Parts: sequence; structure tokens; C-alpha cells
Amino acid sequence: MSAPGISLAAGRARSVLPGFRLSLGFTLVYLASLVLIPLVALLLRPFELPLPELWDAITAPRVLSALRLSFGMALAAALIDAVFGLIIAWVLVRYRFPGKALLDAVIDLPFALPTAVAGIALSTLYAPNGWLGSALMEYGIRVAYTPWGVLVAMVFIALPFTVRTIQPVLAELGRDSEEAAATLGATRLQIIGRVVLPALLPAILTGVALAFARAAGEYGSIIFIAGNLPNISEIAPLLIVINLEQYDYAGAAAVGVVMLGASFIMLLALNALQSWAAKRR
Amino acid sequence: MSLVIDTVTKQYGRFAALAGASLTAPQGAFVALLGPSGSGKTTLLRILGGLEMPDSGTVRFADLNWLDMPSRDRKAGFVFQHYALFKHMSVAKNIAFGLEVRPREERPAKADIKRRVEELLELVQLQDLGSRYPSQLSGGQRQRVALARALAIEPRMLLLDEPFGALDAKVRKELREWLRHIHDKAGVTSVFVTHDQEEAFAMADLVAVMNKGRIEQVGTPDVVRRDPGTAFVSDFLGN
Amino acid sequence: MPRKFQNPTEDSLTLKLTLGSIAIAFVGLFLVLPLIVVFHEAFKGGLAHAWTTITDPDTLAAIKLSLIAAVIAVPLNTVFGVAAAWCIAKFDFWGKTFLVTLIDLPFSVSPVVVGLVYVLVFGMQGWLGLTLAGYDIQILFALPGIVLATIFVTFPFVARELIPLMVDQGRDEEEAAVSLGASGFQTFLRVTLPNIKWGLLYGILLCNARALGEFGAVSVLSGHIRGETNTMPLHVQLLYDNYDYTGAFVVAAILTLLGLLTLAIKSFLEWRYADELAASHRH
Repeated sequence: MSAPGISLAAGRARSVLPGFRLSLGFTLVYLASLVLIPLVALLLRPFELPLPELWDAITAPRVLSALRLSFGMALAAALIDAVFGLIIAWVLVRYRFPGKALLDAVIDLPFALPTAVAGIALSTLYAPNGWLGSALMEYGIRVAYTPWGVLVAMVFIALPFTVRTIQPVLAELGRDSEEAAATLGATRLQIIGRVVLPALLPAILTGVALAFARAAGEYGSIIFIAGNLPNISEIAPLLIVINLEQYDYAGAAAVGVVMLGASFIMLLALNALQSWAAKRR
Repeated sequence: MSLVIDTVTKQYGRFAALAGASLTAPQGAFVALLGPSGSGKTTLLRILGGLEMPDSGTVRFADLNWLDMPSRDRKAGFVFQHYALFKHMSVAKNIAFGLEVRPREERPAKADIKRRVEELLELVQLQDLGSRYPSQLSGGQRQRVALARALAIEPRMLLLDEPFGALDAKVRKELREWLRHIHDKAGVTSVFVTHDQEEAFAMADLVAVMNKGRIEQVGTPDVVRRDPGTAFVSDFLGN
Repeated sequence: MPRKFQNPTEDSLTLKLTLGSIAIAFVGLFLVLPLIVVFHEAFKGGLAHAWTTITDPDTLAAIKLSLIAAVIAVPLNTVFGVAAAWCIAKFDFWGKTFLVTLIDLPFSVSPVVVGLVYVLVFGMQGWLGLTLAGYDIQILFALPGIVLATIFVTFPFVARELIPLMVDQGRDEEEAAVSLGASGFQTFLRVTLPNIKWGLLYGILLCNARALGEFGAVSVLSGHIRGETNTMPLHVQLLYDNYDYTGAFVVAAILTLLGLLTLAIKSFLEWRYADELAASHRH
């Protein structure tokens, strides 16, 4: 979608359709009052603190370790989901097998399942006496109530983002260019590496960015399985909640601003990715 | 050193795309596969390119058992109807692809590849467009890039699927003569698929008229036009 | 004549089996197993216990509150989605791309940050907190806060479904209707709406699922008053934290059933009305 540089008035004059002012007006008012103004409140709030104090609030060891955990594990989860999301999308688009429609539908479970439900289910599954937890314990691996629990929950909630961004692009790719590569002498491996994956790259990166943004901000599914030990398995969103419960609004806002900043950066990155992908179409 | 296609069949479910097609063409010939849609001409072309396998029949080319070779070993330059250019690669990278994917011992040096690409760009009259991307080219330009890419591998055989199908009439006429010229210069055996008889007669040494998975008649344009071998050919040519 | 032929775009059987197994194993382990756990745990205590949990006044209050929040948030966001898609798809104006980006914004904001944002505006130390308290209006730790949080997190669903769909459809049909003398409202009702109805339903469905399931943002704003400001997901947490695991899973199972129902309808829409949904769902 491009936004031609025409003025509002010109756009209005060009169209005979009614309702432009009304629909745009409502859109802007609704968007501004429910989303934008509250967000601005968050952006301004931390600066009621003197700057050194704000800096101290953000760089406190507990805050830093929570941010590191949230963003680090989110990145790891996004990359894991990129690899498996690519495989799942490939299987769904390229292969024919019984039960394919079911596999396709199941991918959206994390969208449809409330995060709290996912949280208690994963926690029960990976607890030392749970189905998977007890099996893993035999190998000395603890997942629940450790940082690995954070990773598991993030992998769960972010998977649909990678699958659902790669899948339609792969379906549209067609086999023409692969056939062309084969007639030009490329091996199957070269076809995948030089033709298919580069063509999918914008979609893969978009999926990773979406998965990362979702995982970094995730709260509901993680707090049940993480154990929430300060400095070890305490995620940044939980720190906001704890600060709020202690009426430390400025402290909560400081963490919130960092997270919101990350959201904005991801949004910009996604937009850049989109225009890059559009250019190559 | 000729191309010999012998009673090739190909079945898709209950539909017989090829029902015993046979054709012999001398080395260096420019062969047109002419016929209505569904007559099996594209299927035959894809079999020559190694993109499909026939159910039965043989294909020999230059004393090679053509069907035993995988697509990538045949050196059959294939020009697709919709070009199938690699959208994420520049024009130069597209053309160089076939050389860059060769095994290390057969791969030309980087400088040689670069020179070869430049020669080809000149051949297809796109000298200054090497760094463009396919999306920035017109239909006719894309067509020429696809051809240059196929020629880069020094093909034994050139296969063209409706090469002008997606172009407008004016560009089509210009490209015809030019393609024939390139074929003569490269000295390859070329097979091209078309449903346009004027195009087939204007360009080809041999015209093979196809119907329902069979080749009804093969001959020089003059012979086929003067003396249609079957009722179908006569009907299709509108005599 | 049998020949070993490898179609150049077809994976070998070994690779197919390998990738297929990886995909199914990963999905089974990470997505399906948690689902099974929910129902397994919920029925551990038997049907009688499940029934007691469901008919507990606090559970019923939670169900009621979740439904009220959804009933307010979903229609508002639907109206917004239609209005936004209308002006974006049918008109050209400066800053359109930016507006589309802003509409997507709530998707990338952490739910907890959403809660935080409203606390900063409506809390006692917030911009409007004291003013509103003067009029005896309570937003936080009450229904309005829960509704606001739900609106924010479900904000883009309908708009995001409709925008690509309506951009795709262009404005020819509407222009034809207007030229034939239809009023704006008639044009929308008789031309636009029939074209987008399945996409609209799809968006509403996803919006509703998220509204019922939202946890993080609501958690910050609700105050967790049992039987009063607890939504279903919050009630799950409350039961779980009070070591009533079976009870927690019973409520979780209700939410899961709603989620599965959503998925089923969604899959049906994708299969049956693929042409009338946004391009990204046509696979």
C-alpha cells in the first residue's frame, strides 16, 4: 500500500464516495484517545524523575537482569521458532499427507489459547513431577522454575508468528524459479540455499521480528512456569507489575519505557522489512 | 548428433498428456512445437528439460540417453513462459547463476564469469542494466534476461516455452528475428513451444504439429503448409 | 520401464519423512501436549468437582465479567475497524501508511505495559486520577479499567483483517453504486458489507478470542477482587495460586474449549470463504 503524496483536500476531491471525514475522524479520535495519549503518558512519566535517578532505575542490577532475560530469551525463542516455523511451513505448503488440515489448524492454538491457560498447562507439564518434567529430570534438566521455563513458554506463544508469515509467501513462490535453477545446473541444496531461502528471507525476518516482539512482552504464560526468582528467572513485565504493587510508579514507568522503546524499534524494523520485501516483488 | 524422440507417453491421472509422441530433428535445428492448448507440447518440452519423466518411450540427443540424465546435467537452457527470473538477484547475478553453481573444479574464475556476463548482456542488448533487479525491467527486457541466463551455461539445447506469449505484438515481431539470429550464432538445437502458427512458420526449420498427445506431422514450414499430412493439421492451419 | 527419476523440485522421500516428523513432533510437543494436559488435569477431580467449580459464585462472576468486557470491547473495535478500513481503503490521503502502522502498534506493546499506561493516566498519582475521583468515578480496579485494557489489546484485530481485504477490492463497486444514486449508507450496507462480511466475521472472531483470554493488561488493572473484578483468566490464576489446581484447570478447560471453537470456526471460514478473506489467509 503506498501513500501518494496528495493533500487531504485533493484526495477528497478525487473520490465520489462519502464518509471520508466521518470515518477518518472517528479513526483518529478513537486511536488517539485509547492508544496514543496513554502511551504518551508513559513516555513523559519517567522524566518526572531527575535524569540520574531515571538512569539508576533502569540500570539497577535487578532491572538489567530482567531486561536481559526478557530480550535474550525472546531472541532465542524467535530464532528457534524461525527454524521450526520454516520446517512446518515447508511441510504444510509442499507435502500432501492425511491430517494436514488438522496440523495447519493446530498451529494457531497459541493465538486461541489464553496465556494464563498456556502458563498453567506448561508449568504442569514441565514441573519436576510433570509428564515432560519428570522425563527431563532423569537427564538432570530442570525446565520449570528456571530461565529455561521462560524460553519454553516464549517458544510456545511465538510459534504461529513465524509459521504464518512464512507460509503464504512460500505458497506464492511457486516452483518456476526452482525449476529454472535446476535446468541451469544447480543441485537441490544449491536451489534451497541460493533460490528458495533468499526469496523467503524477508518473510523469515518479519516472522522473527513479530515473534521477538510478542515473546519479549509476554507475561501471562511465563509467570507460572518461570519461578520468578529475582535476578534469575524474573522477566521485565513482571518487574513492572511488582513495582506497581509497591506503588513505585516511576520505577515501573522506567522499565515500561524501555520495553515500549523496544516495541517502537521492532515496529520500525517491521516497516523497513515490508518496504524491502515490496521492492523485490 | 541428432535429437530423436521415440513414442514418448505421459499420463496425468486419467488424462494422457502424451500418447506416443515421436520426432527426429538434426543437430542445430530450430524446431517449433505447434498445437492447441492441451495438445502436450509443454509436457514434451518439460520432458526434454528434465522437469518431468515420461511413463515410457526414449529420448536420445547427441548420442546420449537423455532421460537417464538429471536435469542439472543436461545443459538444456530452459526459458520459461513467465521467465522465472530470480527476483532477489540482480540481472547480472541471474545470468551468472548457472556458472556459479558449477562444482568448484568446473567453475570459471570470478573474472571470467564477469566477462561472460558482460558478453551476454551485450548479446541481449542490455549492457547497462546488469545491476537492475527483474522487477525494474519491462516484459521484453525480462524475456531477454531469461534467454541470456539460459545461454550462459553454453547449453547443448535451448528450450523455450511460449517465449513471446506474455509480450505485446510489436515487441514479439522484433524479438523473433533476433531470437533466430541468436540461435544461429550459438549453434544449439532449439525447441520452442507456440500456439501461434505464424510465429512457428516464420522462425522454425522444422514445424511439428501436435494434437492430443501425438505429433501429427513434422516437416519444413513449406512442406507442412503446402501439404498438410492429416485432416487435423489441415483444419488447424485453417486451410 | 522403471527409472530412478528425481523431480528437481520434489524432496526425496527420506527428506519428506524427516521434515514431516520434525514438524509433527515439534507441534505435538509444544502445542498439542499442553492442550491435553489442560483437559487431563481438569477431569482429574471427576465431573462432580468440575461442576462445583463451574457453579461456584466466584467462577460465575468471573465468566460474567469476561463476557461483559468482551461485549463492550468487541463491538467498539469492530466499528473502529470498519471506519479505519473504509477511510484507508477507499480514499487517498497524506500519512496513510503511518496511520496503518499506528493501528498495528498495540500488537507490539507488552500487555503489562498497556496496564501500566492506564495506571499512569487514571491512577491516583496519574493525570486524571484525582479529577475523576472528585466525581466519584473509579476506573482502576473496576470494570472500566478492565474494559479499557481489553479494548487496547484487541484494538487492531478487525481493522487489520479488513484493511488489506478492502484495499484489494478497490472502490469501483462503491463508485458504481453512488453513480446509480445510492446514498452513502445504502452503498455501505448493500455493496461493501456483503463483500467484506466473512472477513469482518473473521476479525471479530479473533478479537473476541483475545478479549476473553487477555491476562497481562487486565491483571494490572483489575485489582484481583474475588467475585468482583476477576475475569476468567484471572480466576484461573487465583485458583492456581491457592493450590486448587484442579479448579484452575476446570476454568482453563472452559477457556480452552472457547479457543478451540474459535479455531474451528476460523478454519471453516478459511476453507469455505477463502476468496472473501484477506490474501494472507488464502493458503
